[in-house]
Amino acid sequence: MDCREFCDQHLAYVDDTLAGIELVRMQRHLAECQSCAKHDAKIRRALLLFRNLPSIEPSADFSRRLEARLRSSQRDNLFVSTQRNLRRSAIAATIASAIMLGYIGTTLFHSDAPRDLVMPPVVATVPEPEFTPITTSTPAIVASVSAGLTIWPAALFAEQVPVRFAHSSLELANYTR
Amino acid sequence: MADIVRKQKVSVEGATVREHLQAMDDSAVVTAFLGGEERAFSELVTRYQTRLLNFVYRTIGDREKAEDLVQEVFIRVYRHLHRFDRSKKFSTWVYTIASNLAKNELRNRSRNPLVLFQTVQKNFQDEDRPLQFEDTTSRPDDMYRKRHLREIVEETVAKLPEHHRNVFILRELEGKSYEEIAEITDCNLGTVKSRLNRARNSFAEIIAPYVD
Repeated sequence: MDCREFCDQHLAYVDDTLAGIELVRMQRHLAECQSCAKHDAKIRRALLLFRNLPSIEPSADFSRRLEARLRSSQRDNLFVSTQRNLRRSAIAATIASAIMLGYIGTTLFHSDAPRDLVMPPVVATVPEPEFTPITTSTPAIVASVSAGLTIWPAALFAEQVPVRFAHSSLELANYTR
Repeated sequence: MADIVRKQKVSVEGATVREHLQAMDDSAVVTAFLGGEERAFSELVTRYQTRLLNFVYRTIGDREKAEDLVQEVFIRVYRHLHRFDRSKKFSTWVYTIASNLAKNELRNRSRNPLVLFQTVQKNFQDEDRPLQFEDTTSRPDDMYRKRHLREIVEETVAKLPEHHRNVFILRELEGKSYEEIAEITDCNLGTVKSRLNRARNSFAEIIAPYVD
């Protein structure tokens, strides 16, 4: 090992991160080279001095000041977030208003646009009655209309009741119209 | 009577929680804080305040400003802890914040020579020196020698270029690994090693005449 290689590896040597073989080579070079041994001692002594610098402690009111600053910071955060929310709401309301005004403006001033909705015509068909019309005598029905109630002469269609009773209202509607 | 018993119970519970927090590692304390345990933050402050204060003080050389910056670090931690990537080391994150704040402080000073002057003045005022450095059991001449030596060491560190000094303090004072330093200073591993090597050599070179 030469001095250049020793200097290159010195950082790892001081920090004890060298592999076994490299460590032995460094130690051997130190034993042989006085200049590198001196350099090594100089570095180690300086580091020792620095590492032994006394630690400074936070001042007595450090915690109290920190607590006060944290509380103030929390208040600021709350204020800022409230302001932000208000600002967002205001922006949203402005955008919504602008959209509404735009829509109203377009609707009012756009002459080409049809004002009414055009719907396809409704086609309705009256379904064909599936039953045979009730054959009854007209005077009997008229008599029932004057009473305001549908009083059918039971004798007329006693035989047909199960089938035709369901359609009585339709028939009545036709007559009362 | 019931009130006293309740107060005692609350105090015992508080003490138990504190002891429990003390036994936890950083990651668990962070998790506890994020889970709503406010006392966990106090535990983090207790763990890091002195270490960070020493780191920032050695970097910027102004004790009062260093305290302010450390408080700022904790405020940022409090505000942004929910964003902290818990797969990483908490200490690395905290030191990164502190390192950046110290760097900004030095940058601001270099832009404002008046501040720099005042700071330098402050560093040499007696009341700014840490009192606990004085060893009252030593003889007066020993005390003087020690004090003088400490001043020389501090001045020598202050003479190192900022990026060398940062790496040097993180390694020699805080005992950080190369990898952690690389993460804190946002440099690659090679740069960290090279800066550390240069810082050690420069420091030893400057201080050698006073030591021999």
